[in-house]
Amino acid sequence: MLESLTVALVGSPLNLWIQSSYWLWPVMEIIHFIGLSLLLGGLLVIDLRMAGHFRSLNPSATHKLLPVVFIGFGLNLITGLLFFCGDPLRYAVNISFQIKLVLIILAGLNALLFYWKISPVMHTWDPAAPSPASAKFVAYGSLTLWTGVLLCGRLIPYVGTG
Amino acid sequence: MFGWLESTTVAVWVAESLWGYPIMLSFHGIGLAVVVGIFSMRDMRLLGLFPGLRPAAFLPLSKLAWVGFIVNAISGFALFTSQAVTFVNNTAFLIKIGCIVAGMVLAGVIQARLRGELAMSGEDAVISGSTRGIALLSLSSWLAAIIAGRLVAYV
Repeated sequence: MLESLTVALVGSPLNLWIQSSYWLWPVMEIIHFIGLSLLLGGLLVIDLRMAGHFRSLNPSATHKLLPVVFIGFGLNLITGLLFFCGDPLRYAVNISFQIKLVLIILAGLNALLFYWKISPVMHTWDPAAPSPASAKFVAYGSLTLWTGVLLCGRLIPYVGTG
Repeated sequence: MFGWLESTTVAVWVAESLWGYPIMLSFHGIGLAVVVGIFSMRDMRLLGLFPGLRPAAFLPLSKLAWVGFIVNAISGFALFTSQAVTFVNNTAFLIKIGCIVAGMVLAGVIQARLRGELAMSGEDAVISGSTRGIALLSLSSWLAAIIAGRLVAYV
């Protein structure tokens, strides 16, 4: 699937525009790093509280950070797509990039679990009590998956093409 | 001195081994997310975003940000040693270091002021105008650190 997309992208106006601009790539990198800080910064607070740490915080109040998390994800989705369009041959065959995509999908499924199972009952939690096992699973799952996404992204230039 | 640094065992391992550089870069990426992530959430909260989230929560959370900072000071130093001469002559790198020092000093100032303001007016403290100003300065420092850091490879 990635391969056929690659064939369509190479030589396209978007592909040529990204490749011909010297400053676009570093600007996209900067935005991608700002996005990752917003995404992971917000999730750190939300997930650590969900897992039962920092109990002086109201668990539902941490959800005020969710818009920031989504803005960070949106920035990185857009810049990430542009990276791919700019250099599809390099990304499509890169194992680290492929694992990164799988981890993002898993993190998305984990987020659905949060919205269906954890978030609706959170307001009933005793703020002083340890978190339920299901909440810990989702919270640590989220942090593990997103850390994996970050690591796979960072390693794209160093990992081979298989 | 920077030439000597490049000849140390750590520098040679980071520069020449297959995994030295990517391992240190990986730690540096995680540390970045923790430090800038937590401090930027704190600054945005102090600037008035996320009402309902108690500012007091950022006192313990900041300790985690400090752990992230230590991870990045160590991994950053290891990365630095691998090309010390190049880095000390790179303007973007020097600006980045300046911004990080500013961000960490401001983190200490904010921590002290927040503690004081919470002690005076309780959990739902009204954040003073000057503390907001410092939070804006801190947020700008971290933003500038990221921009300068990315540009190290391009200038």
